[in-house]
Amino acid sequence: MNRKKIVLVIAFIAIMAGLAAGPSAEKQTTELRFIDVSPSPTRQEYFTTTFDKFEQEAGIKVVYESVPWDDAANKLTVLGASNQLPDVMTTWAGWLGQFTEAEWVVPLTDYIGSATDEYAATVTQLVWKAEKELYGNIYTIPDGMMVKGVFVRKDWAEEANLDLDPKKGWTYSEYFDTVYALTDPAKNRYGTSFRGSRGAFDPLYVYLESLQGGSAYAEDGSTLFANQEAVDAYERWGALYLNGAAPKDAINWGFVEMVDNFVGGLTGTLINDSEVAATCIENMTDDQWMVMPMPSSDKDGMIYNTVNSPYAYSISSSSKNKDAAWQLIEFLTRPDNNIEYCKLTGLIPIKTAVGDDPFYGPDGPYATFVQQLNDPAMVVPVAFGPFNYTDMHQGMMHEELQKYLLGKQTAEKSLFNVVLELESRMKAYLAENPGSAVEQPKGLL
Amino acid sequence: MLILVLYLLGVALLCALGIWFIGRHSRHSRHGRFSHGKNPVRTHGTTSRRKNRPRLGVQRKSEPYLFLLPTLLLLLLMFGYPLINSFIMAFQNYKLTAPGKIYFNGLDNFRKLFGESDIWLIIRNSFIYVLISVLGQFLLGMTLALALNKKFKLRGLYQAIVFLPWSLSAFVIGLMHRWSFNGEYGVINDMLIKLSLISEKIAWLGTPGFSLAVVIMAMIWMGIPFFAIMILASLQSIPISIYEASHIDGCGPLRRFFQITIPYIKPTVIVTILLRTIWIFNSFDLIVVITNGGPANYSQTLPSYMYTKAFSSYDFGLASALGVLLMAVLVVYVTVFLKTTRYNKAGNF
Amino acid sequence: MKYTAKRRLGNLGRGLILLIFMLLVILPIYWMIISSLKTNAEIINAQQVTYYPHQMTGENYTQLFKLYNYRQMLTNSLIVSISTGLCITLLSIFGGYGLARYSFRGKDTMLLFFLVTQMIPGILVIIPLYVIFSKLGLINTRLSLFFFYLIVNLPFCVITMRSFFERIPYTLEEAAYVDGCSKMTSLVRIILPVMFPGIVAVFVFAFIGAWNELIAGTIFINTSNLWTVPVGLKSLIGKYDVKWGVLMAGGVGALIPTAFMFAFMQKFVVEGLTAGAVKE
Repeated sequence: MNRKKIVLVIAFIAIMAGLAAGPSAEKQTTELRFIDVSPSPTRQEYFTTTFDKFEQEAGIKVVYESVPWDDAANKLTVLGASNQLPDVMTTWAGWLGQFTEAEWVVPLTDYIGSATDEYAATVTQLVWKAEKELYGNIYTIPDGMMVKGVFVRKDWAEEANLDLDPKKGWTYSEYFDTVYALTDPAKNRYGTSFRGSRGAFDPLYVYLESLQGGSAYAEDGSTLFANQEAVDAYERWGALYLNGAAPKDAINWGFVEMVDNFVGGLTGTLINDSEVAATCIENMTDDQWMVMPMPSSDKDGMIYNTVNSPYAYSISSSSKNKDAAWQLIEFLTRPDNNIEYCKLTGLIPIKTAVGDDPFYGPDGPYATFVQQLNDPAMVVPVAFGPFNYTDMHQGMMHEELQKYLLGKQTAEKSLFNVVLELESRMKAYLAENPGSAVEQPKGLL
Repeated sequence: MLILVLYLLGVALLCALGIWFIGRHSRHSRHGRFSHGKNPVRTHGTTSRRKNRPRLGVQRKSEPYLFLLPTLLLLLLMFGYPLINSFIMAFQNYKLTAPGKIYFNGLDNFRKLFGESDIWLIIRNSFIYVLISVLGQFLLGMTLALALNKKFKLRGLYQAIVFLPWSLSAFVIGLMHRWSFNGEYGVINDMLIKLSLISEKIAWLGTPGFSLAVVIMAMIWMGIPFFAIMILASLQSIPISIYEASHIDGCGPLRRFFQITIPYIKPTVIVTILLRTIWIFNSFDLIVVITNGGPANYSQTLPSYMYTKAFSSYDFGLASALGVLLMAVLVVYVTVFLKTTRYNKAGNF
Repeated sequence: MKYTAKRRLGNLGRGLILLIFMLLVILPIYWMIISSLKTNAEIINAQQVTYYPHQMTGENYTQLFKLYNYRQMLTNSLIVSISTGLCITLLSIFGGYGLARYSFRGKDTMLLFFLVTQMIPGILVIIPLYVIFSKLGLINTRLSLFFFYLIVNLPFCVITMRSFFERIPYTLEEAAYVDGCSKMTSLVRIILPVMFPGIVAVFVFAFIGAWNELIAGTIFINTSNLWTVPVGLKSLIGKYDVKWGVLMAGGVGALIPTAFMFAFMQKFVVEGLTAGAVKE
């Protein structure tokens, strides 16, 4: 009996020891934690080798942490709530509203100092300007830039005798015509990868903004979309789905289904970020796809397009080594490291010093995207707002659209529910933050 | 690191001590105050209870507690704080993004909750989801268990395979369903069309009603093996002699089923249904993966709604209020369920 | 004869039911396996659904092991799940015994507490626990997962174990006491052997519970070398695309250890629990 007891206890301790044998928690003098919110073998490889280089140069060890993209927002929430955020975080622009409200990230303005001219105009004129307007400070250093474009089935367009020239561009009505022209139910082809689920409002909102010069709010914070013109545009957008230019199933599509169905040969167009080009290169032949710029406004001829960085670097307020953290960000965005990273991940570099790389030239896969960034007619419309809208983005926005598409609600009610909620949040924000103003659309030139 | 080692040693020592203690005590008290386990077929020793007078009453009283000590300690340590905390948060204005602005706000969170436009749809969905999933799992699991209750060739292999769905993670199962029920490239539509059962593709996940049905199907598929294993285990423990006796008495198979089988497996069935209901009611991973509550909340349930809400609005006051509400509903359910099934009678629960 | 005809009909019905259940299980798993052998292009081809790989490839499995370090994930999952399973089994033998064989003050409350722990929505537990774990230095160790899975699965396993104990007639123990055995001895020597199938079943319940858990795995673990299988598979879902083929390969891989365990377990559950009744 006794022997058995002892054995039991030893076994128990052994189990515990086996479990505890993870990485030892021994802390060196300076050790940084870095979290990647969109891990893949390529990214992990890039970051770990770059961190090794950094350790050799600066003598600071960096631990690479990662969390699957799908759970990233939730994980950062838990980490933030328990004051355990890693020193350097990759941050999606949509999270900044909460992160700044909760003060989980620190302003970087002082760190950047006078070095602003090292950065490309896309960073200084668009991203940082927007951050300053929205949150009063600069909070992120972009990892790379991406713009949206319209991915089109080249072969289908040729079959349909459509003349699509990326250099010439197109208007929204031409875009709608193209979508209908590419639709052929008999061949099981649909015009567009319609986005009906999470994020459904992203492209739709840009379309609405294209009718208001890129704005969404009047100076006092009231919405510009509570009118018949916006409802008409909303209906035109919804008609793509209701008239069968998108599969019935698309009402529940998010990113993954949109891309899968375009790449898989079911849909003819796809509005998405330049990052998706990598997926197309991997899965399609060159004569199957092309990229058109975003359609220009039917009203003023400008191209309204969002420009942002997918996983910008930020420093968390729980960091105990903020200076070292900044050193790491500087190292990661050094021209040589930045261009290596951008080529690897399909982004456009953020530093002016990278010069003209043929990869981003007129014959490269990113030609149309770069062309848009150089287009005097390109304007970045305003964001949903400086307040936290994640709950709307993950719920109400697409739910209201879905109710309309299912015929449970009129277009007007569905649109107004969303924009009036945005309006009330905007007005509350303006009232709570004296001195703040409504964000203005921005151009590069 | 040191703290960790000490902590572990502590836990280990505690366990060892508990075991030793139990061992010592039991030597003195061979016949404690036993409550005889409930046995539907009372063929054996009910008389043994309290036959011998206890000799060391005080120590014996502590015996069951000692057996349960490690479990209880662990659960109290780990669940106690979160439990109390969520009850407090439910009545607070508690936003993660505004740690400076936490204050009690009475029933505001509950008011806000019932002010949500789709809340009644979501409540309705939750009940449909739980009811059909539990019933489906139970009935199909029971059918499977009954079918497996007789020996046949390769039964072992068959069982090993048929229980497999249970060992897949909800997220993989969810993804499989989302993919297979995709209206365009999903294999379900393709198969149904090839078999001429439907003429047009169905947008399973994009149609109210269907989307919830797909989630329920996935849930049932995943849970059948669990019911089957539990029921089969208790079926197998029915003494053969009882069936033999019933044969002699000339009982038909139906009567045998209702008068012997059902009463015998009833305790297991009750416990299983009880635990599964709680579990299913609380599970949201399948929903989040397959439909994300869509379209327009038509497959949203209270827990999945709460999960999305808590993490997107950072409003943990609201989330806790919903959590407390869920717990209240479940406690009522458990009480009513145990009362009506009269599980209480034998001192169980 | 009427009797045999009836019996044959019954057998036929039973066979049919068994066949349907088999198909229900086999088809999705078949789908997983063939998808893991397809090329990515074939998988996402929206114009044609294929029922067997037209172009067989082992690429997905190569990638899974070479690029995604699947072996490490399997190891992590196995370590965590086995230790959770063992510890839970031990604790629930004692707990189950205590609940089954005694009636004592506070038993109902205790049971209700066990049930309540199963009712708290997970998110409300994870954040406070994260704070506690980080104070103890447990974050980013397998130990954090072990503790979490332990407490989450323990109440259920204790209650289940109790129901197994209740099936063992008390007379069995009594005989041992008459022979002069202590409570511990009779528990270890007499009851546990009879209980063995139940014990195996509880171990499997706990193991599976830990094996499949995803959310705590993403929250408590920071570095990919400690990821469990579900977390690793989840990372295959990117922002824009899902690596379907690799994901399915990973699903098949995760199925193999559990399939072996089921093959092992079912023997006990089915043939073993009868033993209690036989020895009576």
